[in-house]
Amino acid sequence: MPRTPHSRPVLAGLTALTLAAPGAAAAQWTASDDNSSWGLDVSLILEGVYYNELSHGNDSPAGFSDGHDHGHDHGHDHDHGFDDGFNMGHSELALNAQLGDLFDGVLILGFDDSDIEVEEAYLTTRALPGGFQVKAGKFLSDIGYINSRHGHDWDFVDRPLVNEYLFGDHGLQETGVQATWLAPTATYTQLGIELLQGDDSFIPYQGSGGSHTTNAGDEINSSFSNVSGPRLITAFAKFGPDLGPDHAAQFGISGGYARTWQQETEHGSGLEEWDGDAWFAGLDAVYKYSSGRAYGHGDWRVQGEYFYREIDVDYQRRQDQTTIADNAVGSSKAKQDGLYLQAVYGFAPRWEAGLRAEALGLTNDGLPGNERDQNRVRQFATPSFGTSYRHSAQVTFRPVEPVFLRAQLSQNDFIDDDGHRDRGLEFMLQLNVALGAHGAHRF
Amino acid sequence: MFFSKTRTRITRTLAAVASVAALTLILLPSQAAAGLNIVATTSTLGALAREIGGDEAEVRVLAPPDRDAHYLDARPSFMAALRRADMLLEIGAGLEEGWLPAAQRGASNRAINSGQPGHFRSADMIELRRSITMDGPNMGHVHEEGNPHFNADPLRMADIAMALAERMGDLRPDHAATFTERAERTAERLREHAEALAEQVEPDQRIVVYHEDLDYLEEWLPVEIVGYLEPAPGIPPTARHLRSLVSDLEGTEGTVLYAEFQPPRGAEFLERNLGWPTHAVPLDPPADSALEGYLDLMTTWAQSLPQR
Repeated sequence: MPRTPHSRPVLAGLTALTLAAPGAAAAQWTASDDNSSWGLDVSLILEGVYYNELSHGNDSPAGFSDGHDHGHDHGHDHDHGFDDGFNMGHSELALNAQLGDLFDGVLILGFDDSDIEVEEAYLTTRALPGGFQVKAGKFLSDIGYINSRHGHDWDFVDRPLVNEYLFGDHGLQETGVQATWLAPTATYTQLGIELLQGDDSFIPYQGSGGSHTTNAGDEINSSFSNVSGPRLITAFAKFGPDLGPDHAAQFGISGGYARTWQQETEHGSGLEEWDGDAWFAGLDAVYKYSSGRAYGHGDWRVQGEYFYREIDVDYQRRQDQTTIADNAVGSSKAKQDGLYLQAVYGFAPRWEAGLRAEALGLTNDGLPGNERDQNRVRQFATPSFGTSYRHSAQVTFRPVEPVFLRAQLSQNDFIDDDGHRDRGLEFMLQLNVALGAHGAHRF
Repeated sequence: MFFSKTRTRITRTLAAVASVAALTLILLPSQAAAGLNIVATTSTLGALAREIGGDEAEVRVLAPPDRDAHYLDARPSFMAALRRADMLLEIGAGLEEGWLPAAQRGASNRAINSGQPGHFRSADMIELRRSITMDGPNMGHVHEEGNPHFNADPLRMADIAMALAERMGDLRPDHAATFTERAERTAERLREHAEALAEQVEPDQRIVVYHEDLDYLEEWLPVEIVGYLEPAPGIPPTARHLRSLVSDLEGTEGTVLYAEFQPPRGAEFLERNLGWPTHAVPLDPPADSALEGYLDLMTTWAQSLPQR
């Protein structure tokens, strides 16, 4: 496969820009009076979740697990990752430091009772001229609205379905470089692009060299080729008009293109492979009303996002190195989307209540695969699924600023691969406490 | 090879578009505004900057004066304003820590970064009173440096006016002398007005306030803070705390003051049980005011107390 010749110079240019800027703008001013903001800030966010499944519905929405062989569900086999009863939830240790006014460094470690993971580790420039800013490292992509926010900033216990199923359990979280530009206009206008390595559930990557042995003893070598990173490019624009003291809004548009999309599923009887590319695009909007009363009483927050993605792949199922299983080969596109809309209202001082409505797979043409016909012969097929829904309601109480207690009831209305719809009801109680120097909240 | 897709076209187009866009933006002429573009977090600071800057400055205030400056969102419009600012004027000492750092970071404007001359942190220019959060249990609302609500103290504002003029002069040396002259006049008027108002208030006034946001009245008016409606800063009044306030203050005279955005119920409870008059007062002047607005605010504070 030919290598894309243009992404590398762009990346190199950005890196050069990042490195050159501090030298170009050598500090002319020494602050003797502002030592407080230069140190290391540490904050600890602890969370506990009590989860109770009141009634069991379908485990996961149809069309979003890898492949589509019935009985081979490789995707989310548990819809929240919560066990019935007490859960550690999602806790974080966040470290934040500044190198003069040149860079901000951020390290966020996420942990539960068994794992520690580097969620974000990045540097952000603070001194580039002309409204530019470059971020490099591992970070949550700024596409959409909720994708770049951590759990304690959410209005609901769980991630919206559209973000979880299109971008993964952690959202679009990648290693790479981001460049943004803020226009010098009265209306907030930010443009950004990201060059990302591309290796997560939105853009799975295998590379060459894999092999698989069938039950019959045949060895099958994978047919993927190596594609060097960055394999994913995203772009976004955000707009925020000035609406006076009571109202504030932000509108966003974003999209991305993955130049490779490689996935395989191993079976005793053969190897399935998908190889292609993918793109996505979406819209997001947030509106906040500030009543001016104390402790959030009378405030509104309304937020919604829509994302659409297409995966354009070649598919084959081989039973040994050279034999395609029956007619299980072809090219097709998976086309899927999802949206949510939520509103939260401060109905009393320190109390708020919210509703969220979600739909996943309004368009739901899944990954192409194979189906057995009445003669049990495999045929290439592009499956089409129905739409899944979820409705959630929450009540949140904030006894003091850094603590909240949230009760949430969610009704899943998921459709399964065979078109059967089943409803499940879940209850969640979340306690979230922020300790230490808790940084300022983004809009 | 089995797969033979060509996927370079979109990447190539995107890269080209991005490069052209970036070049265009870099080459855009930056509009060199004649006046100093100042963004102030609160309207008290905005009033000082307007008075000192005169026609040589354009001032935008972020926090609406009728809102609690502790709890604002880092709005996109704040970042847009800071993006074009030559100078950021903040109170500091933790008052704006919940939102200003995020707005500053989002503004992508080095001129207003912490440590740059365009970043003026008022709390660094004066001595702060102790904050009761420094002594109490850590309830998440801690002002380690001291009480940041010194906008209620015209004497400290006079000192800040002088420091501000000096900094503005660093940024616009042509106008340095004018700025200093105006600041001197401003400081003088603040001090004179404070003295005149203090003389009109009955001596030895006792007041209960909602939050520690009017503590600095003690610095220039003949008043003593004898209680807070909040059991701890940031915690709304509880029935138990209010009852204990009433039993402590029973049989004495005084006044209850609270900010217009704070709930009036605690003050009303004291009014019923102690017979103390209550007043909801603004904490900052109207967003577009210059010095006159702040002088009027001082008068409002002083006249909420019994007059000679």
